[in-house]
Amino acid sequence: MSDNVRDEFLAEAQEIIESLSRDLLLLDQAQKDAGGDPDLVNEVFRGVHTLKGIAGMFGYHQLGAVAHALEDLLDDLRLGRVALSQEVLDVLFEGVENFQRLLSDDEAALAGVNLDAYAANIERVSGKGRAAVHDPLSEYDIDPGVMAVLTEYEEHRLRTNLQQGLTLYRLHVRFSLASIDTLLEDLKRRAKPVAEIITYLPSMDGGDGDHIELDVLLASGVSAQHLGEVLDAREDALRVVPRLRGATHTHVDTPVPDGRPETPIPDGRIPPAPVPRELDQHAGISEDRGAEREVTADQLSLRSVANTVRVDIRKLDHLMNVVGELAIVRSSVARLTERIRRNPELRHLALELHRVNRGFERHLEELQDGILDVRMVPLGQVFDKLARIVRQVAREHEKEVRLVVTGAETEVDKLIVEELSDPLMHIIRNAIDHGIESPKVRELAGKPTTGTLALNAFQKGNHVLIEIEDDGAGMNEGKLVEAAVRKGMLARELAGEVSREDALNFIFAPGFSTSASITDISGRGVGMDVVKTNISRLGGVIDVQSEQGIGSKFTITLPVTLAIISALLVRVRDRWYALPITSVQEAIALDEHSVRTVEGREVLTLRGGTLPICRLERLFELTHIPRPEAVRQYVVVSALGHRRLGFVVDALAGQQDIVIKALGPSLRDTRGFAGATDLGDQRVALVLDAPGLLEEVLSGSEGVRVRARA
Amino acid sequence: MSDAMARSKTIMPGAITPSATPVVDTDALREYLAFQLAEEFYALPLGAIREILKPPAITPVPRTAAHVLGIISVRGRVTTVLDLRRKLRVLEAPHDKHTRVLLVDKGDEIMGLLVDRVLQVYRLAADEIELSGVVAGDMSEFVYGIGRPRVNRTRETRGDVADDSDILILLEPTPLLRK
Repeated sequence: MSDNVRDEFLAEAQEIIESLSRDLLLLDQAQKDAGGDPDLVNEVFRGVHTLKGIAGMFGYHQLGAVAHALEDLLDDLRLGRVALSQEVLDVLFEGVENFQRLLSDDEAALAGVNLDAYAANIERVSGKGRAAVHDPLSEYDIDPGVMAVLTEYEEHRLRTNLQQGLTLYRLHVRFSLASIDTLLEDLKRRAKPVAEIITYLPSMDGGDGDHIELDVLLASGVSAQHLGEVLDAREDALRVVPRLRGATHTHVDTPVPDGRPETPIPDGRIPPAPVPRELDQHAGISEDRGAEREVTADQLSLRSVANTVRVDIRKLDHLMNVVGELAIVRSSVARLTERIRRNPELRHLALELHRVNRGFERHLEELQDGILDVRMVPLGQVFDKLARIVRQVAREHEKEVRLVVTGAETEVDKLIVEELSDPLMHIIRNAIDHGIESPKVRELAGKPTTGTLALNAFQKGNHVLIEIEDDGAGMNEGKLVEAAVRKGMLARELAGEVSREDALNFIFAPGFSTSASITDISGRGVGMDVVKTNISRLGGVIDVQSEQGIGSKFTITLPVTLAIISALLVRVRDRWYALPITSVQEAIALDEHSVRTVEGREVLTLRGGTLPICRLERLFELTHIPRPEAVRQYVVVSALGHRRLGFVVDALAGQQDIVIKALGPSLRDTRGFAGATDLGDQRVALVLDAPGLLEEVLSGSEGVRVRARA
Repeated sequence: MSDAMARSKTIMPGAITPSATPVVDTDALREYLAFQLAEEFYALPLGAIREILKPPAITPVPRTAAHVLGIISVRGRVTTVLDLRRKLRVLEAPHDKHTRVLLVDKGDEIMGLLVDRVLQVYRLAADEIELSGVVAGDMSEFVYGIGRPRVNRTRETRGDVADDSDILILLEPTPLLRK
């Protein structure tokens, strides 16, 4: 199998799995609200069926086998042979998990798949879940002749509708054979908003040569009169199928929800995919109406995007590289134009060249924006995955958690989305494991038993903010400080002096964990320090706020794109560095006389505040290189949250759009640089990782201080 | 390259010395690119070499090991360049017109290696390679063995060809490029 074909398969399978995952989450909610949703079961069934098909075609036999077993279970669900329960949903979710693992190249993930155990799980729920409910059909006087010809699916739909308390109607119609098709279609169309047509059968009374008489069996929540009007039926043609003796009528007035008509699948035929539902696809198990509506507008339904092309992100990277090279060509042409302009005889030529170059520049910008736009994907992609985790973790810990998502439509660079999934997953696991209390504890604390986990995303200028907020127990400052002392991160004498904020920040320190018992979920050796590292690798920062008894909130601030950024070029001795403009607050001239020393650290007074400074020439050990000219230096002020640091540089060379390129794996451990960029004159400049440097310089000094006093 | 052709050898069946590892397929000729560092001759498997560049302007990267010279941009890709002299603890020398950067594939990354002078390609038979262990010291980690290209004296290819005291230090790219 060629790589191309394989990639194509993987991409398609991935899409199916993602939509399966979404549908399962909706189904999970539907199960809690109304016991299920036949449309969704059908949807999942079709997804698994397709997956089974393509898996077989591409030789993914294990995957095919799992899909096959799952398909059987889903068929049972569809036909009501197995009742939809949380246990069954667990097995379905486990199936998605297994698909995911079977598709990955990761040995560890593959090893995590225990097909025999999974098959046993399926077996267990399909046995246990068999509907052993009272059969409502026995309460109705339905012609045995009719019952005999119902397909299993039709019979199931009939039973389900009756269980929901809907009324069963029988409509007798007489159609001319010539126009039966259109008349039937018309009937179906009219009935759809208010009733489900279970079946239609040629009437026992027969017909004549030109006409056929049909008995249509419908289930509906509306009155006979209303239904009659809708269907435009003769009064005597529509009858309620009566219940038999003594059956208590539990009619509940629950009409079929508008816009979500039941669409039974005729046996053996897969109908075309329905138009995307109005129901929000991202909010997953959210109950928050406001949030649902907010996402609905931009919902990402895989079925609705027929005009799309899948592109390998590396191809876009390549295009971005080309744009970068073109930008270099543009500046070279501008330089040449300037030289030509100096020659009086060629001035008109220079002018023309200048105009052409401007046009080139404009188109180049458009091209660049276009490519950046293509790279953008909604955060919903990763939120969907998280909704699944929330459900799973909450169930494992027997906690009740409601996930409320807003801003799933917020777009960020594809690469950022990919890298976000692990950190977010970790924060969410922690929030459920350590944050949200058990229902009992919550009740005692006077909180609703169901905890709320809010996942909010929104754009703010050139940044995207993601908030993960829980209404759990919050963090205990005392415990954090104590753990920090115990782990030797803090001198005991200083324990009393730690501010709440610094105490909270200990959770980001390597090797820090307050949890005494390592749980299956949170104690996997990845700590919040890894989360922080991963976020800062994306050029982002993470902040935490927490109130004991009220909850915790993590805020992740990320750049919208990594591909191209605006940067300030600075010179340190003879070296040029680029500082992302997002990290620059301001640049001021350095007045050597105002530099003071506080605890061995140089500081400036800037508008009444203290600004620690960092001389890059010392940090980078460049002092042996002579400074080209003895001019005044500059201080570039950078901020991370409320902390600020001034980088001392020798010259500022203005702002420039740069394409950041990653340093090779061999330099991955080199701290302080976010990457490198082509400057256009064959030279490469390093891009400073301002948040990283700031962190390093400021916390480094604190460490020194703590040790000195201890 | 005509030089290289002159030195390329046909193999001589039955010339297996008892010390040669029996597992090695003696029919296979291995191709090595030889280069010079100070007075010593080194070689890397030809298959690992992607390109040979005249040294471009190298941007130094602070806070890296001494043998990391810095980075260059090879058609838009940021590439780390190592100084092989420093890495192998050979005395340093200024660049001259023969200085080259070899782009070597280390598996997960293509890296640049600064060398004094690129020599030629050798095709070595198994019996022309002594496996490492012969050369002691801490460099053996990335030394695969010693190549001793035989010179076919029956041909009139003597001329500028070095005598058979030629020794090539055969390097293993992956451990060599690991920090």
